[in-house]
Amino acid sequence: MSLKPPRIVPYGDAALLIQYETDGFSKDVASAVQALATSLRANGYWDEIVPAYESILVAFNPAQTSMESAKRKLENKVINRDSASVKSGRLIEIPVCYAATYGPDMGNIMKSSGLSKKEIIKLHSDNNYLVCMMGFIPGFPFLSNVPAPLHHPRHETPRLKVPAGSVGIAGWQTGIYGLESPGGWQIIGRTPEVIFDKSRKAPFLIEAGDRVRFVPITAKAYEAYHA
Amino acid sequence: MLEIKAAGVQTSLQDAGRPGHRHLGVPCSGAADKLSFALANWMVGNSWSAPALECALGGLHVKFHDDTTIAIAGAEMNASLRGKPMKNFSYADVRAGDELVFKPSTKGSRAYLAVAGGLSGTSFLESVATYTLAKLGGIDGSLLATGDKIKYGDEVTEAPRALPAGFAPVLSNHIVLRVRPGPEVQHLKDTSKRELFIRPFTATRATDRMGSRLDGVKIEGEYSKSYTSSPILPGTLQIPPDNRPILALIDGHCTGGYLRAAQVIRADIWQLGQIAPGTKISFHRCFDEDAPKILTQRNATYSHLIDGFSF
Repeated sequence: MSLKPPRIVPYGDAALLIQYETDGFSKDVASAVQALATSLRANGYWDEIVPAYESILVAFNPAQTSMESAKRKLENKVINRDSASVKSGRLIEIPVCYAATYGPDMGNIMKSSGLSKKEIIKLHSDNNYLVCMMGFIPGFPFLSNVPAPLHHPRHETPRLKVPAGSVGIAGWQTGIYGLESPGGWQIIGRTPEVIFDKSRKAPFLIEAGDRVRFVPITAKAYEAYHA
Repeated sequence: MLEIKAAGVQTSLQDAGRPGHRHLGVPCSGAADKLSFALANWMVGNSWSAPALECALGGLHVKFHDDTTIAIAGAEMNASLRGKPMKNFSYADVRAGDELVFKPSTKGSRAYLAVAGGLSGTSFLESVATYTLAKLGGIDGSLLATGDKIKYGDEVTEAPRALPAGFAPVLSNHIVLRVRPGPEVQHLKDTSKRELFIRPFTATRATDRMGSRLDGVKIEGEYSKSYTSSPILPGTLQIPPDNRPILALIDGHCTGGYLRAAQVIRADIWQLGQIAPGTKISFHRCFDEDAPKILTQRNATYSHLIDGFSF
């Protein structure tokens, strides 16, 4: 894997953005981002390290570090990173029920792809996705790209309420709503797994750098999950 | 213990927030105007980050059930204690049964009520800051409501002290925010690059702790390609395809999918907490070399007064 080194540019006066050049989703870039974010976190030096698909936002306290010195530290890290030392994230299996009750937008994907529901489920679930980014809300994993036939734009007008656990598609991205929230993604299923639970010892089921695999389950299995 | 007799427009328990978790989708939250919040705590002798009440736009009515010392700071809400005016940015001893009332804000957006020893709430990631979207902190993660009772905290405090002259921030209904260019600023049309800095914008009714939608001249960007969801921070100014800027505030999402046109400098972030619907907002370009000087100066002023505080 040979990637062009990223640009490191100021983001305001208290953060830097490590920006890779890509044209759409790049698996190599997404993997490099996660590896670099993991290695930066091991430093324990930065206020925030927020990996995304093609960039990492690194925040620092400008009262303690100057922009120049923060930038130098990051440049050194980018150059000297030992890629062999980066371990790959956990593989997490997420059960998903693709029944119409839980996936109200399956019809949209069927129409745009020309595929049957069975074929869509197969395409969506037969894939290990890299967790590239968390947010916009707590515990919402933004996953790597879905196979091309499943690409579909967001709803023009977002739904006011998308139930927690909903699995959706937006463009080439797929993700899981960790909380009930407004949202514009095309919802094709729902997981009975609780993605974010503030009262749990490990509140976040999934973190950036993990890999996710969707496992189709029946509506009966979904309902039995919490019974 | 204190009791909420009326919660007003939007009152929540806040502290210094939970920084360092944006990679999990959890914003920092905490007091939106960190400076006024810290000053309120300082006056009652608390550490600057002790939990306190944040009241947006006014209408909060509190009854104290035990003797204590309180301080108020932030937006001007013409407060009254035991029916008599209580000066903003001041402290007072209260007796059990005393009541404090905030009127609607006449200047600024958020006022703070600090209590000696702090206030208690539900902690998540070592902070009781209320973040309603994920129901974190505060009391059940919610805004305060009539009848809620909050216990005083047991933080060890120093004696109450009056704020020396010159330390209370001068609030205005026209806020000037100094910004650095955002990563996609080159995708703005040339006219918009200039117009961003010419006439003030007005915060619309769509203004809360998450963000503020701004009215004013349309800011146009290049939208032939869509932007990949990317990280944002409080103080990031985004331009969506409808050309109406959105300013991210303290509870703002950790990622956004719009063009990032500008970023408010660290020394001015506290002012985001004083944006109310109708507030005029001007953006000023801050030069590269000026931002650290401004911050050093501001930190020097307040870190002498408030132990451990920095912007």
